[in-house]
Amino acid sequence: MLEHVESAPEEALVSRSARGDEQAFGVLVERYKGMLYSMAYRLMRDRGRAEDAAQESFIKAWAALPGFKGEAKFSSWLYRICYNTCISELRKKRPEVELDEAMGVPVAGPAEEFKNRDIQVVIQEEVSRLPDDYRAALTLFHFNGLSYDEIARLAHKPMGTVKAQIHRGRALLKARLLERVGWDNLKEVMWQ
Amino acid sequence: MNCEEVRRSIQDYVTRELKPEDRRRFDAHLVECAECQRELALMTAVVSTLDHQMVLEPGPDFSEKVLSTLPRQRVLLLSPWWALALAPLLAGVVWLARVPIARGLDGLLGRVNVSHVTVPTLSLSQAGAGALAVALVGVAVAFGASAYAWREYLRD
Repeated sequence: MLEHVESAPEEALVSRSARGDEQAFGVLVERYKGMLYSMAYRLMRDRGRAEDAAQESFIKAWAALPGFKGEAKFSSWLYRICYNTCISELRKKRPEVELDEAMGVPVAGPAEEFKNRDIQVVIQEEVSRLPDDYRAALTLFHFNGLSYDEIARLAHKPMGTVKAQIHRGRALLKARLLERVGWDNLKEVMWQ
Repeated sequence: MNCEEVRRSIQDYVTRELKPEDRRRFDAHLVECAECQRELALMTAVVSTLDHQMVLEPGPDFSEKVLSTLPRQRVLLLSPWWALALAPLLAGVVWLARVPIARGLDGLLGRVNVSHVTVPTLSLSQAGAGALAVALVGVAVAFGASAYAWREYLRD
């Protein structure tokens, strides 16, 4: 029975969960917990708060499932709940987060040290320093795979604003990468 | 394309959102401009990193915590069994109450019977037939609700 539930198609799991089937919902939680937690972590930059927000999102989704009519994809609907939960948490007064500690990334040293460091780590570190709006738009676009239109509807912003935030976010990351690592070091790592 | 145009469209080039015609003009400029090649390499590194972010896993007891705190759902859908039971129940109630219903209808129609308008009053048997008609409509509605509920129940 459990095997049958675990291999059931998503539509059936959603439909069963909407009728109060906790076992079916448990399978959905297993499938989406990584995505929701990662999304919350990238938006909130704090492991504890991200886990709380992801849990809260699942609980809200469970309570709202009887009203889910399937007009949107279940994943998009879930991301919307998680985004709103995180944004509402971010608007509350929050403790200062030590970025480097929270990201698990060592504090940056002088440019020479970057020669053998992974460029991706530096970019990830800089993503966490972006303004909340830029980081949220970049996360939804690149990590969650949502389109400009889906992000605009989810964040209640014009599509032009979303696109501009994504473009400015990437431009900032590129500038900071160059500033921190230097072109000579980057060239060696990228084109070695 | 000149350097300024290339810098403006560099992100759309990397994410493949640039039109084919503009893409050809972009490529043509790139061949002869080292500065723009550098900009492209940097932006490619940024976009590629953003596209390949790892999925992180929450703590091991995450799912357990979620499932142990689920609130009661507000299930609006009528159970198919209750919908089926509703039909004979409704018919029975209307049939048992046919006499007071008939008297009530009789009285109501009598009150609106003004001197210059003649409204026929209903006999007990006529009102009983009316009550039966109401019951039949109730049965039809209840069976409709039951059919809908069964369709939802059997959807997956």
